[in-house]
Amino acid sequence: MTAEGGVQYSKIAEIKGPLVVVDDVENAAFDELVEIETTEGERRLGKVLEVGNGKAIVQVFEGTTGLSISGTNAKFVGKVMEMPVSKEVLGRVFDGLGRPKDGLPDPIADKFVDINGEPMNPEQREYPKDFIQTGVSVIDGLMTLVRGQKLPIFSGSGMSHNLLAAQIARQASVVGKQDDFAVVFAAIGVQYSEAEYFRRSLEESGALKRSVLFLNTADDPAIERIITPRVALTVAEYLAFELGMHVLVVITDMTNYAEALREISAAREEVPGRKGYPGYLYTDLSTLYERAGKLNGRKGSVTQVPILSMPSDDITHPIPDLTGYITEGQIVVGRDLFRQGVYPPINILSSLSRLMKDGIGEGSTRDDHSEVSNQVYDAYSRSQEVRALAGIVGKAGLTEIDLKYLELGDTFEKEFLTQATDENRTIEETLTLMWKIVSKLPKNEITKIKDKHVEKYYQEE
Amino acid sequence: MASNSALESTIDKILKNTEHDILTNIKTGLDESQQSLDDAIPKLESEYDKIISDGKKEADKIEKQITGSSDIEVRNKQLMVLEEAVDKVFSVALDQIANADRSGDYSNLIKTLIEEATKILGTSDISIFTNAKDKDAVQSALSQFSGAELLSETIDCLGGIKVKSKDGAMTFDNTIDARIERLKPLIRKEIAAKFGVGN
Repeated sequence: MTAEGGVQYSKIAEIKGPLVVVDDVENAAFDELVEIETTEGERRLGKVLEVGNGKAIVQVFEGTTGLSISGTNAKFVGKVMEMPVSKEVLGRVFDGLGRPKDGLPDPIADKFVDINGEPMNPEQREYPKDFIQTGVSVIDGLMTLVRGQKLPIFSGSGMSHNLLAAQIARQASVVGKQDDFAVVFAAIGVQYSEAEYFRRSLEESGALKRSVLFLNTADDPAIERIITPRVALTVAEYLAFELGMHVLVVITDMTNYAEALREISAAREEVPGRKGYPGYLYTDLSTLYERAGKLNGRKGSVTQVPILSMPSDDITHPIPDLTGYITEGQIVVGRDLFRQGVYPPINILSSLSRLMKDGIGEGSTRDDHSEVSNQVYDAYSRSQEVRALAGIVGKAGLTEIDLKYLELGDTFEKEFLTQATDENRTIEETLTLMWKIVSKLPKNEITKIKDKHVEKYYQEE
Repeated sequence: MASNSALESTIDKILKNTEHDILTNIKTGLDESQQSLDDAIPKLESEYDKIISDGKKEADKIEKQITGSSDIEVRNKQLMVLEEAVDKVFSVALDQIANADRSGDYSNLIKTLIEEATKILGTSDISIFTNAKDKDAVQSALSQFSGAELLSETIDCLGGIKVKSKDGAMTFDNTIDARIERLKPLIRKEIAAKFGVGN
């Protein structure tokens, strides 16, 4: 930071959607921060998207409503957008651009960090292998989250993904270690009531003191949504790699982020890709998701749980599709389970944590975890087939073993999957429940678990 | 009488059988209830453990809630007090700057500010605004900048200059106020450190 300021230009050539084209500009830089001053003296922030031929295209975060070509000034600040960071950001609530929203002053900063972050050196990345307990049985037991992983939640509009996100944020912890744990929560384009719910929920559970909230509500300018995940991840990286904390970043809803990106792309008249999203959507998403990880020789980690609502529940939509290429698995929220009133309505057959195998077992969770998890997947899958069959031939047409699987499916959904929003289950409780499910089967049907584990954990009727 | 003794023996037999049946039933009942009690013990123990563990969880939750919210409250109050103190330091410092002596090195400072502005704007064809106190210092420095002119209109600032290219397209604010504003986050940090907060 220097005392030297930037030059203010008053020749605005064009205002188009969220973009302002400034004329006769010299020495502007790509991504440079710009302060737009309206005729009424109001200041808005923006950044340079393109420079050349004496023109600069500026994307105004707070929108261009009310701006006019005459009387508007653009001041090129001479630096990129930075987020002030320090340990004091914990327990604070910010808006989508990183400005305090809790009525308190700006935090006293230790550093000012470029919100675009620095790419992680692939050579320095450490393979994620430590378990994070979310307290949600279906996640901990069947699609375990590990530190440094990026595991998205694919949901649909109107479903309970935000309840789940808040529950994970409240309950997540590192089991058996005294390491510091923090949650960075970025809400992008959520309703005011949802933003309030997140804030209140963390406050009432006492989890706010280890959390940082960035709230961009639906009535905030759409363009701000481009910045929200970046400021959140900047804070997360600081807490993780400078202060050695294990940070869980929950971002909801990435669909709103992608839509803001599409809005800018359309205003720039770029050639649209699938469903009008820009062709660089994959690259752009990866610049966010790839900020998760662990580094060799550093204590902390950044784990990401981005949430996206799939338009029309379409998993082939470009946003979930491209997200799936970058992330390490997915948790899919199922419409059928949601309609049945199951919470959390996670469809385990479409869900997967690719790094689970490295984060579970002896020393992390329990030695039988992997096997019992495979058996539960297998048995629930079979129960779904039996359910479909029963729909055609009726229960009377089923064999005795089919009926056992049918019962297992019901028990799984009612006792294991279903959980109260404030119920925090330990991994031991989760594994006991998984054995309860498996024990619905006769021993000869248990093919994926070693005999010694069956002897030890099988629950006789 | 023989028939009486046969009757009595039959009655005795029936009584014995009945007594045996009753005793057997009582014993079976006793065994069954003992078994039920034995069976209930582990269930009871697990139920007891569950109640205790649920109670502990609930207590932990409440403890976290109470300590969490009081920690936050204390921290927030501390932040407000600190901010108030920082603001006081700022306002005293600004007063001192506004009333600072304009003689000595001050004209060199004005010269440096004009040099910096012409360099950043890339032209020396500039119009300069300043406040009433700095007019003389700016006027005396102008001889070294051909093409630069001092406007009679004054601006409200602590000191320093505001420069506009003559075509009006570019403006550069090099007043002391603008420079302080740009460095404010760092100055706040320094002041907070004096109060023992932060690094």
